Amino acid sequence: MIRFENASVTYPGGVHALRDLTLEIPDGQMMVIVGLSGAGKSTLIRAINGLVPLSEGDVTIDGVSVRRANPRQLRQLRSKIGMIFQTFNLVKRTTVLNNVLMGRLHSTGTLRSLLGWYRAEDVEVAMQALERVGIVEKAYVRAANLSGGQQQRVGIARALAQQPKIILADEPVASLDPPTSHVVMRDLQRINRELKITTIVNLHFLDLAKVYGERIIGLRQGELVYDGTAAEADENVFRDIYGRSLTADDLMGEAAAAPATL
Amino acid sequence: MSALAAGSRPARPSRAKRNLALLGAAVVVALCALTVDLDPGEILRLPVGVGLVFYEMFLREGPEWSYFPEALGYMLESLQIAWLGTVLGAIISLPLGFFGAKNVSSGLVSNVMRQVLNAIRAFPEVVLAIAIMIPIAGLGPVAGMLALGLHSVGTLGKLTAEVIEGIDPGPVEAARATGARPLQVQRWGVLPQVLPEIVAFWLYRFEINIRASAILGVVGAGGIGFVLQQAISFNRHERAGMIILVVIGATIVVDTISGWIRRRIIEGAEAKVSGELVEPELADVTA
Amino acid sequence: MTVATAQPGGRPARPRPSLAVPIGLLAFVAVTWASASEQFGIGLEVGDLIADIGRGAEIIADLFNPDWEFLPQTVGPMVETFQMAVLASVLGCAVALLVAFLASRVTAPNAPVFLAARTVLSVVRAIPDILYALVFVAAAGIGPLAGIAALTFFNIGVVAKLLSETVDGVDTGPIEAARAAGGNRLQTVRWSVLPQVLPNYVAYSLYTFELNIRASTVIGIVGAGGIGYLLQTQYRFFAWERVSVIIIELFVFVFLIELLSIWLRRRLV
Repeated sequence: MIRFENASVTYPGGVHALRDLTLEIPDGQMMVIVGLSGAGKSTLIRAINGLVPLSEGDVTIDGVSVRRANPRQLRQLRSKIGMIFQTFNLVKRTTVLNNVLMGRLHSTGTLRSLLGWYRAEDVEVAMQALERVGIVEKAYVRAANLSGGQQQRVGIARALAQQPKIILADEPVASLDPPTSHVVMRDLQRINRELKITTIVNLHFLDLAKVYGERIIGLRQGELVYDGTAAEADENVFRDIYGRSLTADDLMGEAAAAPATL
Repeated sequence: MSALAAGSRPARPSRAKRNLALLGAAVVVALCALTVDLDPGEILRLPVGVGLVFYEMFLREGPEWSYFPEALGYMLESLQIAWLGTVLGAIISLPLGFFGAKNVSSGLVSNVMRQVLNAIRAFPEVVLAIAIMIPIAGLGPVAGMLALGLHSVGTLGKLTAEVIEGIDPGPVEAARATGARPLQVQRWGVLPQVLPEIVAFWLYRFEINIRASAILGVVGAGGIGFVLQQAISFNRHERAGMIILVVIGATIVVDTISGWIRRRIIEGAEAKVSGELVEPELADVTA
Repeated sequence: MTVATAQPGGRPARPRPSLAVPIGLLAFVAVTWASASEQFGIGLEVGDLIADIGRGAEIIADLFNPDWEFLPQTVGPMVETFQMAVLASVLGCAVALLVAFLASRVTAPNAPVFLAARTVLSVVRAIPDILYALVFVAAAGIGPLAGIAALTFFNIGVVAKLLSETVDGVDTGPIEAARAAGGNRLQTVRWSVLPQVLPNYVAYSLYTFELNIRASTVIGIVGAGGIGYLLQTQYRFFAWERVSVIIIELFVFVFLIELLSIWLRRRLV
C-alpha cells in the first residue's frame, strides 16, 4: 500500500508542485492520474520512488517512509518499483538486452555489474520480461534501431525485470501514435491484472484514461481535485480538473474507442 | 502484436572478432612493456627523482622570483607567436576548407584538397620549423609563427571542410533559387551556418598553439622554450620553477578567456537557431 | 479567453546593432598588429620573408630526395618511439577515464571532488609535453622512462578534458532510469554513461597515440627517448636527405593510425 500523508513539494523557484496531498493506493490497483501540464502529475509519481524529495509530509510504501530512507534503503525501495518514461530513457547505443538487464542491477554485485557478468538467473528474468512484452527476438538489436513503440516495450521489460511490486509510468504513450499507444496501455493493463502489480500511470489523453483506468485521480495546481472510478468520470468532471473546457488536444480521438478485447 | 508472443529467443551473437582484436591489442601492449629499454628499478626511483626536482624548483629556496619579468617577456613572445600563427592558419584555411568540402566543390577538387591538407597536417610543427621555416626566416619567432601557421592550415582546413559538409542544405538551395552567384550562395547560405563552429575551432587551435610555441622555443624558433631548456641544462632549477609557473599561469588564463568566448559564440548560435516562434493557441484563434 | 488582435500595420523599429562584434574585431586587429610589430611583438617583415623563400626552395628539393640507406639506422629509435607511444597512451587513457568522470558535472560524486578534479586538470593541461619531458629528464635521467612519464601526463590532460566535456553532454534520461531501478552510482556510470561516450573515448585514445608519435620528435631532443634525438643530429648537420627519411616514416605511421581509427570508429558506431 502506498500512502501519501499531507505530502507537499515546493521547488526551489517557489513553485508549489504538490500541496498537502493525502492519498492511499491499495496493492494491485491500476490508477490513472490526469491533469494539465504542470499540475503535479510527474511530481507525484516521482515522489513515490524518491526521485523528487518531499518538502513536507511523507509518503510511505508498506509502512516504510521514503522521505526518511537513507541512500541504501532508498535504492532497496526503488528496486521494487519499476519506472517507465515518456522518452523511454533507453541507452541507445547498446542492445535491448543490456537495457533490460539494468532492471537487475540492484541485485547484482558491483564488480559483476561493472564487467557485465550477469548471473544466468538474471539473464533469464530479463528474457522472460522481453517475452512478456512480445519483443524477445530483438534481444541483441541496438536500442536505437527500434521504433518508438518497440522502445517503450523495452522500457516496460526493463521495469518488469526488476520483478517489482509497483510500476510507475510517466506519460508512457505521449510520444507514440494512437494504435501503438493502445498496445502499450493494454500491456500495462494486462501486467497489472495478471501479475497483480500496483500500476500508476500519468496520462494526458482523457479518453485513454477512461478506457484503461480502474481509478482516476485528477490534479490541479498540485491539489487533488478528483478521486473516483472511470465510470463516474465524465466531461464535467474533466472540465473541473482542467479548469477549462476540453479541447481536441485532450482526446486521442476515435481511435480511443478502439476495443481493448483481450 | 500482443504479449506472450510467438517470438523465440535469439542466439547470442558471436563476439569472437571483438575479443580477438582486444587480445591482439593486449599482446602489443605487453610486448612494448617487456621490450622497452628500461629496468624496473628506474620506475621505482622515478617518484623520488621527481620529488627532488620539484623540491629544488619550488621549495628549497622558492622559485627565482627576480626572473619573473624576463620569463613573462618570453611567455608573451610565445603567445604572440601562437596568435599570429593561428591568425595565419585561420585566414588560409577558410577558403581551403570550402574547396575541401564535397558539397561545395566538385568531388575531384575536394578529394585533392583533403589529401593536401592531410599531408600538411602530418608534418609536426617542429619538423616544419626546423626543416623549412628556420632556413627561410632564420632563427627566431618569425620561423615559429610560420611553422605554426602552416601546420594549423592542415588541421583547421580539415575541420572546416567537415563542418561545411555537415550543414543543412535547405538554406543553400534557397539561396540558389533566388539566382544568387556561387560566391554569394557560399557567403549567405553556407557561412552563417558554419561560422560559429569554425571560429570556435580557431580559438581551440590557438590554445593548442600556445603549447606548441613553447616547444618550438627548444629548437630555436623563439619563445619561452629556449630559456626553459637552458635553465634545466644548467641545473638552475629555481629559475626553471619560475618559468614553469609563468607558463602554467599564462596558459590557464588564456585558456579560460578563450573557452569563455568559445562558449558564448556557440550559445549565441544555438539561440538564434531555436528562435522565438510564438504559435497562437488554437483556442485563441477560434474562440 | 483572449483573442489575439492583429496589429494595425505598424513596422517594428530596427533593433540596435550589438556592440560585441565591432569591439571584437577591433580588439582582434589591435592584438594582431601589436604582435607583429617591432616594439611589442616579434618584428615580422613580410618583404624580407618573400626574399628568403628562395633559400627554402633548395632545402625542400633536398627533402624530396630521401637517402634510403639511412633507413636501418632509424629502426631502433622508431621502435622506441612506438613503444613509448603505446605505453603512454594506455596508461594515460586509463587514468584519464577516471579523472574525466570526476571532472564532469554529470558524474562527479560531490562538489569538492568536482572542483578539485577540474583544477588539477587545468594545471595538468596547461603544461606542454616538452615541459614534462624536461622535468622528467631532470628527475629520471635520459632515456625512454622520462618520455613515457612525460607523454602519460600529457595524455591525461588531453583526454580527460575532451572526455569530461563529452560526459557533460550525455543524455541524462538513461541515468534517471538507472537510478529509478535502484542502481548505485558506479553501476549508473557504467551502464548509462559509459556506453554513450565509448566511441568518443576510443577516438580520443587513438588521437593521443597519434599525438605521442608526433611528440616523440621533440621530446627526444631533450633526451626523453625516441626518434627526436636522431632527428636533431641530422638536421644539425643539414643532412636533409636523411631528415626526409625520418619524416616519411612518421608520415606512414600517422597514416596507418588514421586508417585504424577510421576502421575502428565504423565498427563501433
